[in-house]
Amino acid sequence: MSSDPRVFATVDLGTATVAATLVGRAGGRWRLVAAGASPAGIEPDALLERLRSRLAGADPALARELRLEADGSAADLARLTCATAPAPEMTVVAASGRVLRPLVAAAEAAGWRVRGVALDGADILGVATALAHPRASAVLAGASDPPGADERSLLPELATLVAATAERRPGLVTVLAGGLAEPGGRAEGLFHPDRPGATVLAPAAAAGGGEPLRELLDGIRGRDDDGRRALARATGTLAEVLERRVEVLEIGRSGGLRAAAGWSPGQPSRARWAAPVAAALLPPGFTDRHLDTIIGWLTLPLDRLRVRDRLRELAVAPWGDAAGDGALLRVAAARAALERLLAATPAFDRLPAPELVVAAGGPWAVAPAPAVALALADVFRRPGVRALGQDHARLLAPLGTIDDDDERRRVMADLRDDLLVPLGSVVLPSGLRPGRPAGRMTIGPAAGATPAAMPAAAEGGAAGPPSAARGPAPVSELELVPGSLELVDLPPGSRAVLELHFRDTVDLGVRARHVAVEVTGGLGGLLVDLRDVPLRLPERLERRRDLLSAWQAALWPGVEA
Amino acid sequence: MSDRTWLAQVPVRRLLERDLEARFPLPPGDRPLVEVGTTVSAGDPLLEHLRDRRIEQVEVRPGLEGAAAAPAPGSRWSLPAGRRQDPAREGELLSPMPGGRDRWRLVTGGHRVALASPVAGEVTEVRPGAEIRVRPAGPAVRGGFAAGSAARGRLELATDPFGELRPGGIDVGRAGSILVVGARIDAEALTRARAMGVCGIVVASLPGKELRDFQASERRQRAALHPAPPFGVLVLDGALRRPIPGPLTRLLEDHAGQPVSLLVDPPALVFEDADPEPALPEPAWVRIRSGPNAGAEGRVLGLAGPRRFAANVVLEAAWVSIDGEPPVDVPLGDLERFA
Repeated sequence: MSSDPRVFATVDLGTATVAATLVGRAGGRWRLVAAGASPAGIEPDALLERLRSRLAGADPALARELRLEADGSAADLARLTCATAPAPEMTVVAASGRVLRPLVAAAEAAGWRVRGVALDGADILGVATALAHPRASAVLAGASDPPGADERSLLPELATLVAATAERRPGLVTVLAGGLAEPGGRAEGLFHPDRPGATVLAPAAAAGGGEPLRELLDGIRGRDDDGRRALARATGTLAEVLERRVEVLEIGRSGGLRAAAGWSPGQPSRARWAAPVAAALLPPGFTDRHLDTIIGWLTLPLDRLRVRDRLRELAVAPWGDAAGDGALLRVAAARAALERLLAATPAFDRLPAPELVVAAGGPWAVAPAPAVALALADVFRRPGVRALGQDHARLLAPLGTIDDDDERRRVMADLRDDLLVPLGSVVLPSGLRPGRPAGRMTIGPAAGATPAAMPAAAEGGAAGPPSAARGPAPVSELELVPGSLELVDLPPGSRAVLELHFRDTVDLGVRARHVAVEVTGGLGGLLVDLRDVPLRLPERLERRRDLLSAWQAALWPGVEA
Repeated sequence: MSDRTWLAQVPVRRLLERDLEARFPLPPGDRPLVEVGTTVSAGDPLLEHLRDRRIEQVEVRPGLEGAAAAPAPGSRWSLPAGRRQDPAREGELLSPMPGGRDRWRLVTGGHRVALASPVAGEVTEVRPGAEIRVRPAGPAVRGGFAAGSAARGRLELATDPFGELRPGGIDVGRAGSILVVGARIDAEALTRARAMGVCGIVVASLPGKELRDFQASERRQRAALHPAPPFGVLVLDGALRRPIPGPLTRLLEDHAGQPVSLLVDPPALVFEDADPEPALPEPAWVRIRSGPNAGAEGRVLGLAGPRRFAANVVLEAAWVSIDGEPPVDVPLGDLERFA
């Protein structure tokens, strides 16, 4: 990329779609000049040619400057490519359920599809069958370090079974963790040293909060160009470039990613991340519970059988039927997947709250930006004030494949205005007392902002549809009604100062009664979300659907409540 | 963009695939009857499936009759001669007992059922305790999903591509066949087909309810002491009703009356004709896979660029003319062309 100063291409090969961009030098810096996506299976060259052709038609001068005016001239561009693939499978085995759970969590966070087996009280034949499962490419056997009283008597059995499996399938990668991982110890001695599959000694699941084991298992998963690993790396750089705490929430066909990175001056940022397969749009082993969760977010009056059939269609052809009801179904499935992603990564909730949350992944591409903002607010219910963005061009992951930290930082700094679509900001307090106004909010222009860029807010009823008003008032006031969702039209590029005066102390990231905070605008404006934390929705499906539809209608033009 | 370039934006559905591998489970206790590199014909024994599997502890010392020279997981073992003959004390060594290499766990069971290969091809992998893989000799049509068991039979077209087969339309005259039944079928017709000796069903779509009902019935059948012969269902597209694609219908018509193999993992229909020449439609011929015109076929006239569709969704689209009518905008993701 550095060798060609004019233009380069990025390609994100997903399991459902392929996304590509053209990034060119304009005005002395890298700018995103074209972006698009196609169903998986379409050759990236064809997609890049489409982007080139469209650029040449829309801005011939820029195309000429970038030497992209001729047919086929995008084919030889330098490329940053990353790919995601269906998760490989791993059997995780431990003496007891207590030891098994953190091992399974570490393997899932590392992006493996996991089959967990506890030896205690289990049928040995079932354990052996699971260990030798034809789809499993690795086995993780672990014990506490030192082994607990409930597992000591079972460890010889465990080691023998795993060693026998490795003897049946010599190519199987075997990871011995914690108390089984003594170098040259009894367990390791059961494995032939010259078999084709590796025997890896790993730290215990409890060591370092599970992070060292997760990193080791991620390394075994392979693929240097893995899209989720690259996206996590780019998250760290994004935090450095924007000088903010950033959290990226990605939902894909084969899995999801939650990556969080902080920032401190002069320090390189490194993201903590997890990529559970359970957060896939339609996870493997789809059950009735998964179906119920999706139906719970669905704003369409479809019966259960019909929803199941539509989801099966989505699984077979994830790029098809993306308009109309198909878009609403996707966004409902994406909300459910986001819930699973957050549930699978509770440790992230103990990190400092992010200042910017980024939605990434193909399912969001069908929804308008304000609807994506609402989906994030619906599911990511961490109290605080934060900006929302979307990796609209799927540019972050390919940029994360740049090995050199400085070069990656330079390129992303150039592209900082193009990387994300600003969805808006969300104000999400918790601890409001229902049944009476919680206080008032004043919205005024930020220092340096013009009053004309500051449309006013309007009030909405409790648990009713969100309301919005537009106008040139420099300062406006809003009564804070618990249970309501208020929209303030704050366009992209504008900033405003919120002064929140609550009657009682609330949790807004910090516990306070009076808060003044600067927020940025976006396509979804400012969401003042006074609904419950966590969000409580009616049990009855019809009422629930009506409420979700009412919230969504204001943010998704073209979809009726 | 040239014609070739813009057509490359339309997703391709391959009529025939030649690189798939059929997978047959081989859990601990099952005995492979083939080796890697073996060429098998359809009907050749592939493995022995052990029913009512259980584990017993046995003493396995080298030198004892019945024991392998060096006992290893996955090797066969039988009761030494001179002791009470117990046919059940024969099986596969699973793993040594902890603490000693002489006492082993043995996977044994009630009786064995031979499984014949439903497809002709070459064995590419035998993993004791895991699976056998066979690369079919002939090309295959890949489906969306499948249920039941791999089977082999004579290909018959029971309805037109838009049709639906009712239970009353199946009789014993169809025994031994793999029926192509058009747009959809219900669970009742599937179970009747199995009872009438039909070997398999190929259908464009199968709703989830029918699939679950059939799978429950199939589980009961497999658990019976004398299970029914293998019977599989191959679903070409998905769960929502649509006809079988025209080019695929012509391919199936060309092979009517010939033996074919229906695979479940991966879902596919394998022809025995080693090198059939499918009559491919013109390159611009497309089928609308999903959306309001699902199932329709026509000619793609060009790329329309980004277009706004229902629910305010903007998608890349193409102009498609159906039955010579003026072109309509169809999202690229809803189209498939054939190659």
